[in-house]
Formats: sequence, structure tokens, C-alpha cells
Amino acid sequence: MMMTPEKATSKSPPDWPTLLGDNARTGGHAQVRFHSPEKAVWQYRTGSPVRSAPVFHDGVLYAASVNGVLHAINVATGTSKWKFEAAGQVHSTPSLFGNTVLFGCDDGKVYAVDGNSGKKLWEAGSQAEVWSSPVVRNEIVFFGSADGKVYAVDGKNGQPTWSQELGGRIYCTIYAEEHQLYVGCGDGKVYSIETDSGKILWSTATGNGIDSSPAVVDNLVLIGSEDFVFYALDASNGEVRWKYETGLGIASSPAVSGDFAVIGSKDGFLYAFEVQTGHLRWKTAVGEVVTASPVIGSGVVCIQAGGTFALDMGSGKIVWQAGLGGAIQSVPILAADSIYLASLSGEIYALR
Amino acid sequence: MDRRTFVKVGCIGSASVLVQGLDPMVRAEKVPPAAPPIDLHGIPDYKPSPLGMPGLFPGRVVEVRDRNAIVRNRVSQPIVRRLLEQAMKELTGESSARDAWAKFIEPTDVVGIKINPSGAPACCSSPEIIREIIASVRSLGVPARSIVMYDRYSYEIDIGSYQVLLPPEVQIVGIQDAFSGGGVGYEPTVYCDANFFGEWETRSYMASIVAHQVTKIINVPTMKDHSAAGVTGALKNLAYGTFNNVARSHRAPHSFTNPLVGLMCTVEPLRSKAVLHIMDGMRQVWHGGPLTQVQAFIEQPGILLVATDPVAMDTIELEAIEEKRRESGVSSLWQHDPSSLTADNRIFFHDASKNLFFRQPGHIAAAGKLGLGISDLKQIDHRLRPS
Repeated sequence: MMMTPEKATSKSPPDWPTLLGDNARTGGHAQVRFHSPEKAVWQYRTGSPVRSAPVFHDGVLYAASVNGVLHAINVATGTSKWKFEAAGQVHSTPSLFGNTVLFGCDDGKVYAVDGNSGKKLWEAGSQAEVWSSPVVRNEIVFFGSADGKVYAVDGKNGQPTWSQELGGRIYCTIYAEEHQLYVGCGDGKVYSIETDSGKILWSTATGNGIDSSPAVVDNLVLIGSEDFVFYALDASNGEVRWKYETGLGIASSPAVSGDFAVIGSKDGFLYAFEVQTGHLRWKTAVGEVVTASPVIGSGVVCIQAGGTFALDMGSGKIVWQAGLGGAIQSVPILAADSIYLASLSGEIYALR
Repeated sequence: MDRRTFVKVGCIGSASVLVQGLDPMVRAEKVPPAAPPIDLHGIPDYKPSPLGMPGLFPGRVVEVRDRNAIVRNRVSQPIVRRLLEQAMKELTGESSARDAWAKFIEPTDVVGIKINPSGAPACCSSPEIIREIIASVRSLGVPARSIVMYDRYSYEIDIGSYQVLLPPEVQIVGIQDAFSGGGVGYEPTVYCDANFFGEWETRSYMASIVAHQVTKIINVPTMKDHSAAGVTGALKNLAYGTFNNVARSHRAPHSFTNPLVGLMCTVEPLRSKAVLHIMDGMRQVWHGGPLTQVQAFIEQPGILLVATDPVAMDTIELEAIEEKRRESGVSSLWQHDPSSLTADNRIFFHDASKNLFFRQPGHIAAAGKLGLGISDLKQIDHRLRPS
């Protein structure tokens, strides 16, 4: 049984169990339409910078601060439900496997923590820091490590299933399909890996290391590279179907919705494409640098880039912006009538 | 024995305290206030290394360049490799690059690579150059885990994506996060103490990684102007990236980067450990440094400078940026015209005739007087080697 949903559920408020909302990286598409926020209804201080994205489940927001603390925050009150302290710094975006919170740590481990109690359930090890977000498919947890390996471990107890060494550091969050994983690597290659065995099925080289995390839609793997280029690869064999060159490196990850994909570049622009053709629909300058991932809401694209911006999905025009949420690594959560933002200064905000 | 050094640079620094809060145009006295006394505390009884600044080749600066080394902001790995090998052989007189590197690094060293990511992504130490340095150091038998690429702010390292772009096992360390407490990661007994503008914290502490962990430092500054220091080159990259709480040395329109930059570089063990300086001139920022992202002020000349003498290196850098500014018809970095000052960052970043401070490029010559190297152009052995 796959515990992490492929699509966001329709219950209200919707869950947001992993990076960009769900395993399909739709980034919140089809959720409740939200308007320009008018006020911060609460502010939660973590006491340390937050350089990953929070996730949301059943009225609780989970956010990891760099000092190694995973915070469970009751969104109704903005107060702490529990805290869990890991043994190292945390840059990984948490993800949810049922009621279990998973996240990577600089001590080389992935921690599984009970979402109700905040108690550790298990941990799985690698040889270097884990900045990627663990993803779950068929009860198997997949994650990449800076030791250059992709790991598959049992979601129930963290026992290793297989590991596969690639050619460089891995900071990319894996995209998991039924039979294939897709992951970018510091050696500049995009890899497809067999889910069951860890066998490399194909690899495609880009011109520099990959910090971006892929999305897969209609048999296309969409991913950015530090070589400035946004790629659409054939998911079956890795052939380049189309590509688009931006002005600087790409660390951002694409969010997709139907035939619409959007990604940021370090040149400060957000770029929106038609997925099938690679046709550029629009590009809009939103900050000096964009490294975070955009998210797609109902008719808008949101991005944190020195502030929080919402752009009209059709035209790319900025429809509102907020000074809060200045982190350029985090991703806003669009949940029901609220937006949750994490900041480099260590605050979590609920805007309404 | 406490080798505390007391450097009395001036005694009327308090004059500047009285004028804070006024418009910078009003504060722009023709005669800048003198720097306050600066108290230096290095590691007691640290035995200076003969490799320490100005190093094995005082006054020698090798410049290699290739216009194709950077094309539309992309740095060529193979050309950088060739340029670096050429420069290292020229600097040392060795016939092989490996022998050239062996003059500075031993297999048992823990090698720090001090980058400058502060202008990322528009102008920062190129990962391609860092990769070549890592490969060269590893070729001597230094394991990857004994190589530490570091800088002060981890979030700036993140923007440059250095973590992804370097080989596994190389340590990548941001000494502090931008908004976290400044004391973590710093050695409390090694510091510079001065009260420039009445600040509550008057000490700047040396990074523990420099004080204790690394045994050699390869300094990889970028080639760019600096709104307070004139240029940020080898000296400033070392000083202001090794000590914390340094932004307090400049408050518009005045800057005490001269003499603080040079003085910090004399503190042991920083002085002894910094054995080689490789300036990344793939890009050259001639206005808006150190943080600009405005491409109009960023040239792409494809230059590498290599030296053991940071003063001579920065002197060459200063001349290059001055020349570019002259060509562009904007004022010298030495200009102290109050009418050029602005308190608006947006104006500063887009108008090359404006600045935030009275720049202090004299910090280079001042460092020379402290024995860190040679600043007299006539005495500098500038070896220009076109590719």
C-alpha cells in the first residue's frame, strides 16, 4: 500500500505530506483558492534558521530548523505540539509516511518520528549528510545522500533494502514512480533507477552538477541543472526531448500542473513552460536570486525569493507580494485559507 | 607567555561616534576620523611558518588569462585546469604542476580552501576552480576528507550550490548562519578588539576551523570592488571571512577596513597557514561589489592570478579595477567626494558614480607596511602570461 498520496486529497484542509505538496510535485494545484493574505495570524519562533520546507498533515505543521530540531506546530494556535532533536543540523524537507515524519540529517541519518508523540521510531544511516527529502513508495523510503548513494529502506523499520552508488553528491529529492526512480546527481547526470533492485536503467549527462529535484509528467522528467538549462527528458530512455537555457544555474525544482511547469533560476526569474513542447509561456523577475521551488495554487504560482510572491499563472504578472518569508530555500504551504511560510531567521508564519 | 600585541593606530576614533545618525552627506568630513586602537590576540607562542604571508615568493604575481575560459558566464573546466597548471609552474619555477603544489602542501595536511561566495551567484569563487584545486591537492596524497572548503555564511555557500558541485567526502563548512548567534564556531581566545563606532560587541573572533582544524589555507578570492574597502581581494577575503563581527568596521560614510583588514591577516595562526592565493578573475566586478548581481558591472576577462604574497596580488587587482573604471568613465576607487555618496542601496547598485562609503583601498599598502607583502608596483614581479 502506498501511504503517501499521489495527489492531494480533497478533504479540508488538505494535507501537504511532502516537498511541493504531494509525490506528483503539483505543488498545491487544485487546492482551495486563496487570496492575497492580509495578516499574520501567528508567528512561531524555532530559534534557528529554517532552510527547508515545512509539511502539513491533519492540522499539524512539521518544520525542521537548521539546529536539528523537528517542530510539530498546531496550526490552530501556532503553538508547539512537540519537538524532536536530531544529532546534527537539518536541511532536509520532512515528508510524511502515514503518521510518521521522515527527514534527513547532517549526521548521515534519516529519522522516522511518530507524528503524534514526537518519539523516534527508527533511523537509517548513510555516510554523509542527507539534505534531500525522503520519499515513500510502496512502503519503501528512498533518499539520496552526499556520500553519493541512493538508499532504499523499509518504511516500517528503516532496514536497508538496497543502495546504489552514483557519481557524485546527491542533494536532489528523488521522484518515485511505481517501477522507476529519477534523481539528479552532483556528477551532472540524471539517473533512472529500478525501484525494486537499485539497478541503473539509464543516465543522461547535463553540463554541470544537479541541485534541482525532478518532476515527472506525461513520461517526461523535468529537471534543472547548474549548467543553466531546464531539461525535459524522456522518462523511458533519458533522451532529451527539449531544453531551455536560463541566465544562470538552476537549483530550484519544478512544480507542475497538467501541461504547465514552472521553475526558478539563479538569474532571478521564474520561467513557465508548456510541458509537451517546451514553449516558454512567460518569464518574470521575482528577486535577485531564485533557488527555492515554486508552488502552484489555484490560478497562481507562489515563490519565496527574498520575500513571498504570488504570480498569475496565466500571465506571470505579480498579483501580490509579502515581505515575510525571506528565505530563498524554503517553499510556502498553501493550505485551505492559510499560507504557511518559513524564514531564514527561524520564524514560521501563518498568513490569512 | 602572552604574545598579546597592542597596535595603536590612532586615538581620536571617538570623533566618529558623535556623528552617527546624520545623513551621510552631512557626515562626510574631508579629513576622515582616525582608526581607534586595535588590540590583536593571536594564539600564544605560535611558531610562525616560513610559508606564511608573504610566503615563498614575495612580490611575485603570475597572471594567466584566456578569454575562452568563461563564455556567457560558464567557466570552462579544461581551460581552468590548463591555466592553473601554467600559473603554478610559473610561480614556483617547477616543471610539473605536481611539484609546484608540493612546495605548499604535504600529504598529512588538512587543507582549508577559503572561498568567497558573498556575490553568489553572479560573482563568487568558481566551483570549477575549486574542483581543480581539490584535484591538485588530492594528487599529492591528501585524502578528500582532509580538504575543507569553507566560508563564513553557510547560506551563501548554499546559493552557490558548492555542496553539489564538489566531490564526495570533501568537507564543506559554513561557519555560521546569517541570523544565528555569532559565537558558535569561533575561538574565544583569538580575536581583534576595537571600538569603531560605539558598538556593544567590540571583538571579532577567529574561526575555530582556522585556529585549530586546518594546517594550510589556500585562499580563493574573487576580483571585485568593495564599497567600503575599495577592493575585496586576497587580504579582505582572508580577514573578513575568518573573523566574525566585521561589518561593524564600516558605517556610512566611514570605513576602518584600513587598517583592520591587514591587521587581522597578521594574527597567528592565520598568517602562517595562508600559504597560497589563487584569485578568481574569471569575472571582474568593477562596481557594486561585493554583493552586486548587476551584470552590467561584471566583466568576464577569464583571468587567474596566483601568488603567495596577498599584498602584491591585491595591488595588481586594484590596478585592474581602476583601469576598468577609467575606461568606463567613472571615478577612482580612491575618490573621496562627498557628492558621490548615497545612502540608498538601489541607487548604489545601478549607478557607478555613487558609493556608500569613502572607500579605503589604502588597506593594501597598509598591509604591506605590516610585512604581509609588497605594494609598490615597481617592485612587484608581475608575470603576465597569455594563454
